[in-house]
Amino acid sequence: MIHDPPPFFHRGPSPLARLTFFGLVAIGLMIADHRFQALEAVRLSISVLAQPAQRAASLPGEVVSRVSDYFANQDRLMRENQALKSQLLEQSAAAQQAKLLVKEQELLLGMAPGKSKYASEGMVAEVLYNARNPFIRKIVIDKGLTQGVRAGMPVIDGSGVVGQVTNVGTFTSEVTLLTEKGQSVPVMLVRNGVRAIISGSGKDGSLEVPFMPVSADIQNGDLFVTSGIDGTYPPGLVVAKVTTVEKNAAFVFARIVAKPAAGVDSNRYVMVLPTPPASPPAPEAKTEERKRATNPKGSRRESR
Amino acid sequence: MRAADLTPVARDVMKRPAGLGFVFVSFAVAYLLCAMPWSGWLLLARPDFVLLALLFWTLHEPRMVGQGVAFALGLLMDVGDSMLLGEHALEYVLAVYLAQSLRVRILAFHLPEQTLHVAGILLLSSVVLVVLNLVLGADFPGFAFLLSPLLTAILWAPATWVLYHPAVRRRRTESHS
Repeated sequence: MIHDPPPFFHRGPSPLARLTFFGLVAIGLMIADHRFQALEAVRLSISVLAQPAQRAASLPGEVVSRVSDYFANQDRLMRENQALKSQLLEQSAAAQQAKLLVKEQELLLGMAPGKSKYASEGMVAEVLYNARNPFIRKIVIDKGLTQGVRAGMPVIDGSGVVGQVTNVGTFTSEVTLLTEKGQSVPVMLVRNGVRAIISGSGKDGSLEVPFMPVSADIQNGDLFVTSGIDGTYPPGLVVAKVTTVEKNAAFVFARIVAKPAAGVDSNRYVMVLPTPPASPPAPEAKTEERKRATNPKGSRRESR
Repeated sequence: MRAADLTPVARDVMKRPAGLGFVFVSFAVAYLLCAMPWSGWLLLARPDFVLLALLFWTLHEPRMVGQGVAFALGLLMDVGDSMLLGEHALEYVLAVYLAQSLRVRILAFHLPEQTLHVAGILLLSSVVLVVLNLVLGADFPGFAFLLSPLLTAILWAPATWVLYHPAVRRRRTESHS
């Protein structure tokens, strides 16, 4: 560009040609990744390469927190212990009741224990770090393919749903948080069973419930739990609490904002639940409708 | 050939070259610094150490580091930052291209003026990244995203100081030029 070298100093293609080439390859990669999710294998192999560096980089922070844990205030530990004990007591009562209810339900519905709709066991995972990307809301946990984590599994913490596994590496996986824009969960109102879909607003700590008619019976403080009709989240997990309901007769839909129940982005440990067993197949559709129907497996990564 | 081509415009002509190992170690350190658990507001302001090292070596070791290295490091950053494959790669390749075409000019200046040039390149490339994400449907992260390229540019002088010293002190018997 600025200086043309004499032909005997051969330098290969010009910088502009290289820029065009690499730029086109990069754009092609983006399209392939965004549209077709075709590059999982590439991402997986690069993540294996990057994994040791990732670990090494988070080491200083871990050491600092371990050391400060070690020198933690005795008093604070005692108080924490007390709080945890009382919480355990409260929850063990609830857990026993839940066990009873599950048994009762199995009896009533004549279901075998294996076919229960309720998730039985999960896998505790440690949150390694928030995804380092200011445009999305994701966390990275320390369980991956080798521990049996699969894309689509729901992730919860002590008080509710955190999100869903969307990307699985060999030893780590990415969890898309509820608050990510376009991440939606089918929910049900505890008080009266109204069904809705709650979706992330892309802002920290707030969810919205779009397309609810103004006449819908939703009040401030109502609790949303998963309805379980999507086959991804088991039913009955707490999702969010309604914080604002704006009903304006000028609009068809009410503006409803909810606050996630789980500490969506402030956890150290989360639990990965197995996806519930596949529900019975949908009833036969007419031929032309069936052609148009999308493959249910294809909608695994609906966000992004 | 014009007469002007015979005078050493670039100051680094007389400097000794850096070893391949040193360049590699500097990239590894830069990647580790980026991979530290930054989050929230700090994440928006995180200086891009990898891009800083890339620009430095593009200017000072143009035969060793170019757009190919930029592309590879960009892919690595994309996986680490869980972005779409190719976003950082495009950003880095563009920045390195600008540095390549302005190389002789930038190196003719002292550090403060160099910093201004580098700041321009960094700002442009981070705007490209943000626009890419806006096209993909993300929300505008606020003007705080400008902090990252500015902080990176401020680090240009310290980086030059750190990366140059071992490179200059390296005693080499064979003369390169």
